[in-house]
Amino acid sequence: MKIAVCAKQIPDPANEITYNNGTIQRPEEQVLDDTDRYGIEVALQLKEKFDAEVSIISMGPSGTQKGLQQALQMGADKAIFVDDDSLKGANSLMTANVLSELSKSLSADIVIFGTESTDGYSGTVPQQVSRYLDLECISYVKGIEVDENVTLTRQTVEGTEKLTMPDKCVISVTAGGVEPRYPNFKDIMAAKSKPIEQVSLGDLNISSNQNLEFIDIENVENSKSGEKIIDEGEGFQEIVNKLKELKVI
Amino acid sequence: MKTLIIGEIINNNLSSGTLEILGKAKSLDLDVQVITVGSEENPSIGFDLCKQTYLKRNSNSLNLSKAATTLSEIIKNEEIDLILGSSTYMCRDLISFLSVDFNSSPVSNVIDFNIESGNVSTVNSINGGENLYKTKINSDKALLLIRPKAFDPIEVNFNSDFETIELEGGNLEVFDIFVEEKSGPQLEDSKVVISAGRGMVDKENLVLIETLASKLNAAIGGTRAIVDAGWMPYSQQVGQTGKTVKPDVYIACGISGATQHQVGMKDSKFVIAINKDEEAPIFQLADLGIVGDTLSVIPKLNENI
Repeated sequence: MKIAVCAKQIPDPANEITYNNGTIQRPEEQVLDDTDRYGIEVALQLKEKFDAEVSIISMGPSGTQKGLQQALQMGADKAIFVDDDSLKGANSLMTANVLSELSKSLSADIVIFGTESTDGYSGTVPQQVSRYLDLECISYVKGIEVDENVTLTRQTVEGTEKLTMPDKCVISVTAGGVEPRYPNFKDIMAAKSKPIEQVSLGDLNISSNQNLEFIDIENVENSKSGEKIIDEGEGFQEIVNKLKELKVI
Repeated sequence: MKTLIIGEIINNNLSSGTLEILGKAKSLDLDVQVITVGSEENPSIGFDLCKQTYLKRNSNSLNLSKAATTLSEIIKNEEIDLILGSSTYMCRDLISFLSVDFNSSPVSNVIDFNIESGNVSTVNSINGGENLYKTKINSDKALLLIRPKAFDPIEVNFNSDFETIELEGGNLEVFDIFVEEKSGPQLEDSKVVISAGRGMVDKENLVLIETLASKLNAAIGGTRAIVDAGWMPYSQQVGQTGKTVKPDVYIACGISGATQHQVGMKDSKFVIAINKDEEAPIFQLADLGIVGDTLSVIPKLNENI
């Protein structure tokens, strides 16, 4: 079994995101998107049972490759990535096109994603990749039981449903669906010798285009100048009074 | 502009998200039709405003990719230019599939759109709602995923006047279908919402929120942190990756107010926040902020309401 897991390097979420002409400014050092840790965890559970090869696929400015290292530290075997200036500000379809070509180059049977990246959160790339690869997409997976068969639990608008994982498919995993493992010192050291390979965009068969044109970006003033009261035991009364005023009670 | 809204069914009715998009489409005078995708036997989804079709899929298989293929054919045959759907699990799948079929990247998290000289332009909320991002779509087909509550829903008179297309099975069998019990007020349409965050300290303490909610006839929500911790089902998550709510009163209990939570509740009419940390970002959104321990404030509220 060959598994490709998508991992995105993103600016440290602790810092504010800045934009240049509509595109996120990416520092040299980016980190692994936490969202992807769930997908990687699912891949590793499959690897343990089926002796699968787990490859990280990634697109974007590679920089110090810290995020890719973090993915390898969790236990993935290798990483391949595309880093090309022409992909700056790539829309979701272009991103999906590149990632599906990368997974094709690995002959991956199972392609795994988080549901949406923390910085861009379009939330469409896993499904788009499945369409490019002509595979079924099992989206919003929130649970996995690995036995002879693999049973996936999927979130739906009304609740959940289960499916048996087919031999080939694309999966997206929701945050919180599984408990991502933390690498220990040995894992961190082992990751240093794992291969990271850059793939040239020219070697991939890209057919999508940039149909979305950036026009403008605006800040939203979220802050309100509401009352702030320090509770010294009677704070609840302020709430009661307000709820009465608003005719809630 | 020929427009398709992908409709969705919730509790056997057309979803509020569908009616919100329809409201916007009508205000722009678009030539609109609705194709509702679902698996219910007799949904109440017919109404008098425009042509509608029910694309009925088999609930025992995952067959949204097939549903998308049928939609693709209709879009091609009827030369539809604009395709709209809510940012829900189902529509995100369908619109993503269609975007590949038409080689046109969709725009996600749309909170407004307009047509200017034949081109669709969108406003979407990014960076946890801190920025508005404006985009012009330069392809023949425009595909938009629209955030719930972006527009006011249109009033329609429901009837049973719709055509049904039966979709054949799918490749993946689905089993153990579990429908979460929905009792009490629902997040999407409740006038009062009470949400819990990590400041509630322990799952056991949520009973305080439940008591308050029943007194105020309020729906209960939670942050991603407590949903991840298993305190509440995902269907109650408020925020970027969960539900968007817009109640008359939103009470945030022990919530710090990460941007990813803010985007799901910032349009609430009146926000009350209770948090120990005076510097918590939630206070920037609050009309009334109580700096104090939510675990001591809520029991007093429960006693006095």
